[in-house]
Amino acid sequence: MKLIIGGAFQGKRHYVLTNYGISQDSVWTGQLPQELGEGTIVIDQLHRWIFDTLEKGLEPEALLRTFLQTHPDCIFISDEVGCGIVPIEQKERQYREKTGRLLTFLAGEAEEVVRVTCGIGQILKGN
Amino acid sequence: MMTLVFGGSGSGKSAYAESLAVSRGEGMPLYYLATMHPFGPEGRERVRRHRDMRQGKGFCTIEQPVNVETSLEQMQPGSKTILLECLSNLVANELFDGEITDTPEAVCDQVIAGICSLQRASTHLILVSCDVFRDGKTYDESTTAYLQTLGSVHQQLCTLCEEVIEVVVGIPVYEKGGVQCTV
Repeated sequence: MKLIIGGAFQGKRHYVLTNYGISQDSVWTGQLPQELGEGTIVIDQLHRWIFDTLEKGLEPEALLRTFLQTHPDCIFISDEVGCGIVPIEQKERQYREKTGRLLTFLAGEAEEVVRVTCGIGQILKGN
Repeated sequence: MMTLVFGGSGSGKSAYAESLAVSRGEGMPLYYLATMHPFGPEGRERVRRHRDMRQGKGFCTIEQPVNVETSLEQMQPGSKTILLECLSNLVANELFDGEITDTPEAVCDQVIAGICSLQRASTHLILVSCDVFRDGKTYDESTTAYLQTLGSVHQQLCTLCEEVIEVVVGIPVYEKGGVQCTV
């Protein structure tokens, strides 16, 4: 599994498609595919999926752990959302912190972690 | 040696800084300087979570929301490791506690002076802070003053610190210095 993080609009998806030779058809945006597919699956906008999952009152970590068992070679792309002033709304605060902790969990599991800034990938973990 | 560890919300910066303090401070007193006012149930929960994380690691906790240098009176003389968590709370407390008369520059100078006192008295001083500067939003006057003060504190500290480490999704990124440490 690989984890690609960075700010919004930094070229994260483009980095994944070009560096790992993946077709746009394998990209799922803001959702986890239900069925098993062929080849490497990319889950883009993971932070949006986390937000939606929390909105539904579900536990994203448990769902991600289950998903990883059937998709051990997937690529997650997520915005980093925790680098601003702590929001006044409790829901916003929980979403930010939860996203940070989930990305930290995924980084621990990942064979490769890359932070993309202005289209440039900085490898934080792996080769 | 003075080290700044910073990161966003939920980045794992606290866990990293604690491990660093434990590994650097082996064989000497280990102090945890807590600067947060535990307001409300969420604040108390945060304090509880951090206490659980530190459990059994040998930290002596001192709560010091302002004037951090006065905490030295409660510490043993001689070599020691101090972990201060966190600067973003300390700056907010110094800026907003009591009457708001001090300018951002004055608060920045006061915070830096307090930290330098801690540095002179300790073998290792590890400072934790939050990266709160990258949401691209415009805030009201007092929040802007806070951002300006904390930003100035970070910049001055980065020239004074031997090490500056950013924690990203639990992974240390060495921005300055950076003695590899297996934690």
